[in-house]
Amino acid sequence: MIAILQWTTLAICAFIAAARVPSALRGENRSLFGIFVLMTIAISLSIEPVYAVVDSFLGADNIANLLLRFVIYGTVLLAGYRIAKGFDSAGSVRLIVGPVGLAVLVANAVATLVPFLMANTAGTSAGLSHLPDQTPHNTDLIRLYTAAGRFYPAYIAACLLPPILGVLKRRILPRLVRSGAAILLVGAVAMIVLALSDLLPQRLAYLQYFISSTAVLGLVVGLALIWAGRVRAGKQALRR
Amino acid sequence: MPLPAKAFQLWLHQVAPSASTADICRISGIKRTTLAQQLVRGKVAESTLVSISRALDLSPLAALASFEHYEELATRPQPPTPAELVSQIATMDLLRAVISRSAPAYGGYGDEGSSMTPALSPAPHATSVRNWVDAIDDGELRHRVSAATGVAPQNYSAQLTANRLSPELAVATSRAAGVGFTGGLVATGLLTEVEAGWPPGAKQSALDALSDGELTALAGERLQALGKSLRRQEQEQAQTEKIWENLG
Repeated sequence: MIAILQWTTLAICAFIAAARVPSALRGENRSLFGIFVLMTIAISLSIEPVYAVVDSFLGADNIANLLLRFVIYGTVLLAGYRIAKGFDSAGSVRLIVGPVGLAVLVANAVATLVPFLMANTAGTSAGLSHLPDQTPHNTDLIRLYTAAGRFYPAYIAACLLPPILGVLKRRILPRLVRSGAAILLVGAVAMIVLALSDLLPQRLAYLQYFISSTAVLGLVVGLALIWAGRVRAGKQALRR
Repeated sequence: MPLPAKAFQLWLHQVAPSASTADICRISGIKRTTLAQQLVRGKVAESTLVSISRALDLSPLAALASFEHYEELATRPQPPTPAELVSQIATMDLLRAVISRSAPAYGGYGDEGSSMTPALSPAPHATSVRNWVDAIDDGELRHRVSAATGVAPQNYSAQLTANRLSPELAVATSRAAGVGFTGGLVATGLLTEVEAGWPPGAKQSALDALSDGELTALAGERLQALGKSLRRQEQEQAQTEKIWENLG
């Protein structure tokens, strides 16, 4: 079930990234293509078989998981910046790439790196959920590391809530843009919920897979819809 | 509320007993699917009735009045007030009138020359609905319409901003303002001025009756409103451009 969910998510992301190739070759807004590609990489790294291959290549110490975290940071940073700028929210742009945003990013990177280096991460395990070393000390470090990994996307998502809601309120904007914004909103909320989801009881932990898929798909599909809005607007302009 | 399909079919049978639905659609230029959908839903749009009446050389006003909802249209024929007539003059025509009344040095013909300016364009114009409501509004009109019809004031305002008003609301607005029923139907473009029974040249005479001061003040108000809406459009355009630039 979870495998199907993850593979479907990957397929959708890869499809959208592939669809964006022609316009990336034409040089149109390559950062959007970058977001889709990074997202596709991130998802493939969270799927067990892909993860196992990559990690064995990197020394079977779960460095691939660390890589995954930083790919995600890069993706949400790039996407957050573009969305905040596109939705014309100077405040959110500052919170993402201004001094505060960079401080949060650096602190978060440190909070990711340090527990990872201190923990015993030997033995490939996607999501680090089944590491051989299950001593309390080690699991605490891993928990810290995971929490840091979810904090930064949640921070960016929280910064994006006001501009997204602002776009939803502006009725005059093209419908596809507003539907895209609505889906981005779902994704952003899912990212925030994901950061809080460690509080879920252990038997509901599988819900995290759904929440993270919702977050990823919300971001990617939302952006794709806005892109479709532009394609449509361009066609209408041609017809006129 | 649009016309009940049953009553509409009864009317259609009376005015064109031998015509098939396909014939009616062909001569009136209504898409068959549109008419079929309206009949299935049981509600026929007033504009459908008007198009068919025109095609059959019937008076759209009389056709509308033959329906229960619009009986009043026939019972109280009341000519439009001068303010209503002036509200149906396009902003550019008002500006042209200002110039044509000005001294020859500014490109005008002086007071006498209004016959030299081009004829007024027919109603409706780009802001005719809002201008019409403003022309008959005593300050409480929107509240009365809202109370009488149950339509929320913000929905009513949204229709005015979009230069739309359902025929039902247009009639309700006339009723609440105590003016003739045709004003709103012309302002919304459902009927032409001639179909509404407005005397030819009525708008021009209403315009000529305005003093220079009244005309200039009115043109100024219209220009200001136009400027506001253009600026808003430009802002929206800029916002959309920004979205395309970053996310398109």
